[in-house]
Amino acid sequence: MKNFVENIKENQNELKRLLPAEDILYYAFQTADKTNCLLCYADGMVNKELLGQLIAKPLSFLYLAEEKKSQNDPTMYKPSADLIEKTLRFPELKRVTDFQDAIKEILDGNTLLLIDGLEIGFIAGAKLLPVRAIMEPPTDVAVKGPREGFIEDIKTNMTLVRKRLKSPDLRMDTLRVGKRSDTAVVVCYLDKTVNDKVRQNIAKRIEQIQIDAVPDSSYIAAFLAPNEHSVFRRIGTTEKPDVFCAKLAEGRVGILVDGSPIALTAPYLLTEDLQSSEDYFISPFMATLMRLLRVFAIVAALLLPAFYITVQLFKMQLVPLGLMLTIASSIRELPLSPSMEMFVVLLLLEILKEASIRMPKYVGMSLSVVGALVLGETAVSAGFLSTPAIIIVAFSGICMYTVPAFVETGSILRWLFLLAAGSLGPFGIILFAVFILYYLLSEESYGAPLLAPFTPLIPHDLKDSFVKYGLRSLATRPVFLQSPNKTRLRAKK
Amino acid sequence: MSQTSSTKNNAVSARQIAFFAAFILPVYKLVEAPSLLAAYAKGDLLLPALIHFFSQLGVIIALLIAASKSRRPLMERLQEKLGKKLLIFYGFYAVYYLFAAVLPLLDLEKLVYAAFYDTAPTLFSFGAFFLLVAFVCTKHLRSVGRFADLSVFLFVLPFLALIIMSIVETDFSSLLPFFERDLTDSLTAVSKTTAHFSDAALLMPLLLHTQYEKGDSKKILGGYGVGAGLTLVFLAVFYGVFTTVAPREHYAFLKIAQYFPALSVIGRIDLLFSYCICAILFFCTCLPLQYATGCLSTLIGEDKRPWIAAAIAFVSFLFTLFCNRFYDSIYGLFGGVFLPVFIIGCNTLPSLPSLLFLKKKNKKEKT
Repeated sequence: MKNFVENIKENQNELKRLLPAEDILYYAFQTADKTNCLLCYADGMVNKELLGQLIAKPLSFLYLAEEKKSQNDPTMYKPSADLIEKTLRFPELKRVTDFQDAIKEILDGNTLLLIDGLEIGFIAGAKLLPVRAIMEPPTDVAVKGPREGFIEDIKTNMTLVRKRLKSPDLRMDTLRVGKRSDTAVVVCYLDKTVNDKVRQNIAKRIEQIQIDAVPDSSYIAAFLAPNEHSVFRRIGTTEKPDVFCAKLAEGRVGILVDGSPIALTAPYLLTEDLQSSEDYFISPFMATLMRLLRVFAIVAALLLPAFYITVQLFKMQLVPLGLMLTIASSIRELPLSPSMEMFVVLLLLEILKEASIRMPKYVGMSLSVVGALVLGETAVSAGFLSTPAIIIVAFSGICMYTVPAFVETGSILRWLFLLAAGSLGPFGIILFAVFILYYLLSEESYGAPLLAPFTPLIPHDLKDSFVKYGLRSLATRPVFLQSPNKTRLRAKK
Repeated sequence: MSQTSSTKNNAVSARQIAFFAAFILPVYKLVEAPSLLAAYAKGDLLLPALIHFFSQLGVIIALLIAASKSRRPLMERLQEKLGKKLLIFYGFYAVYYLFAAVLPLLDLEKLVYAAFYDTAPTLFSFGAFFLLVAFVCTKHLRSVGRFADLSVFLFVLPFLALIIMSIVETDFSSLLPFFERDLTDSLTAVSKTTAHFSDAALLMPLLLHTQYEKGDSKKILGGYGVGAGLTLVFLAVFYGVFTTVAPREHYAFLKIAQYFPALSVIGRIDLLFSYCICAILFFCTCLPLQYATGCLSTLIGEDKRPWIAAAIAFVSFLFTLFCNRFYDSIYGLFGGVFLPVFIIGCNTLPSLPSLLFLKKKNKKEKT
């Protein structure tokens, strides 16, 4: 690790050698007594006006020579770092002694100030990164409640969190991940509320990550999950600061990653997917109803296509005779088998879904017309597909989006259920369901069983699971989090 | 595997054992036992069931007495007391549980073909079940406890729904007069259905590994009482619905609600409730094999557990594939020649720990 030397030219040459990129700019200027100064920064990442007003201008009026005269031995003179700090009065100014630290700061958007005759440099926090405005996250829209969403800038995200949790207990430990990206990963938690074992475990795992670059928080989530070959998530995600803060206040650990609008939370329970931030802003009765509706919707989304082919192929008794006859008449002259038909319709749905996400918005409308109306209608009238199959898949698709966080996992499971039903009928569905259940009940996310509070049964935590009790009933923190501070609400009933 | 991780993997709470006794143990008794009891007891099917429950209750109480002597799990104390002799116990129970899995497997195969298919399924359709067996067998007792928690949600509502739907067509007078038929018929029914009521053997591994707390006995016995009560209610309703044709009505819980009047309009939703119970039944059938894997991995080595699980799943698959045609003969053997195996494995051996620790207490008391 090489340190700065007194000669500014040597320092500049070394910097140029270590940072040969063209977007690294050098601005040389002199103080009033002709002492050479140099600013080094990454183009487009700093507030140049601020640099000019708060660094270059004050220094250009500074007489370091007068300082020289006041020294007892003029030959031993070195410009005083203290004097420069006093002169600059820059809000974020720190000293660096070696090139490695300085380069790290420059690449992070800060500015290095070097002064001839000084063996140290100064880092000025004049970062001005291009960020987008705070908006409502598209994946987590709420009718009631806060609408702010995280953005890609970690400082803004940290501010959004701090704005909501004005507690000295809120800690934000910054870690750096990525050999090349050197991405800031901030572990947020409320001291005395979080389970320290969980926090330490998460921090340890993040520190152990050896990777080139971290483009998004999902990269960190992959390393935090104990089993990377699972279709189920082990880490909660949210784009909303209010949800993030509520989870921190419950005793969870939150993780913000620079460059990602998606924050991570742990420990994570499967029931979290069924909860919406809005549940906490509406009446508990309505919230319970909505949650039960989501459970029903997820079950329908996963099982309906599988159930449909099961009814046709293996167990007709499961639907009333009248309905069975309607289905039978609509599939009478189909060229495809029920399983193949359902496979094709589901494939169409997935393709349409993928295309509608990727396509430019102005093409999206035509895609809906072509996809849903033309393709569906003509396929039925041409006798390739049956109307019930399209209805079933469309309903399943809609149901899946009642729980956006579960879409990824749900889509995979729906295919697997379809496969099980097509090959083994209702036996396959039940067998696969038991398999998943048995798999899930032995899985954990940082000490919290994935299926808690249902198994292991935690009666207290059932108050905020499929049902939602009133706020006063949720006076203590969830038991599964093992928080050292159990009480979160003191209110007389 | 270290003692600590083994304890953690096998940790079950008294509540989980109570749920296990209340909502998992009754499930296998809803398959073939009702028709067998009705056939052998000539309609007085409650008496043999009660005899079974009381005999099992005695064994469970004996185990609980032994467990209540210390807060440490009974298994740890047995290991201390018996040392390497305990391996014989493991060896016996590995064989016993494999043995105990035979009838549930054969019953389940037939039930699957009857319950899930209108058409004739291929012979290998049931083979997929053994993938589940292999997976379940790799897990420890903690998973059993957690499944017991889930069984509350899977069992209670479907069971109540089935009972409510079938009670409409139930003629309870067909059960009368209670306990008036020939006692030898009841005893024959007891002997022929011993394999279906081997509750103590299924509870034993859980009771051996639980850390006993004050009041746990009440919970566990209460759970067993609930399970027994639900089974008796089911048997009564079953006989009330089918009366004299009950001996021919196999896979009772699938058929019990089929006469509910609204089914012709809304479809066989009773089957959906039955399927929920089937989910527990699948687990129930895996259970003896899971226990057998546990015993064998203690003998051979915990690191070899996945291989043992795979081997057990494969052997049981082959057994089911080749022996399903000898279903009646196997049933005959299990109700006759092999009966002592169940009496030893389910009634005699599980009572021994209580004798061992009672004796110790007496000695201490004398000193």
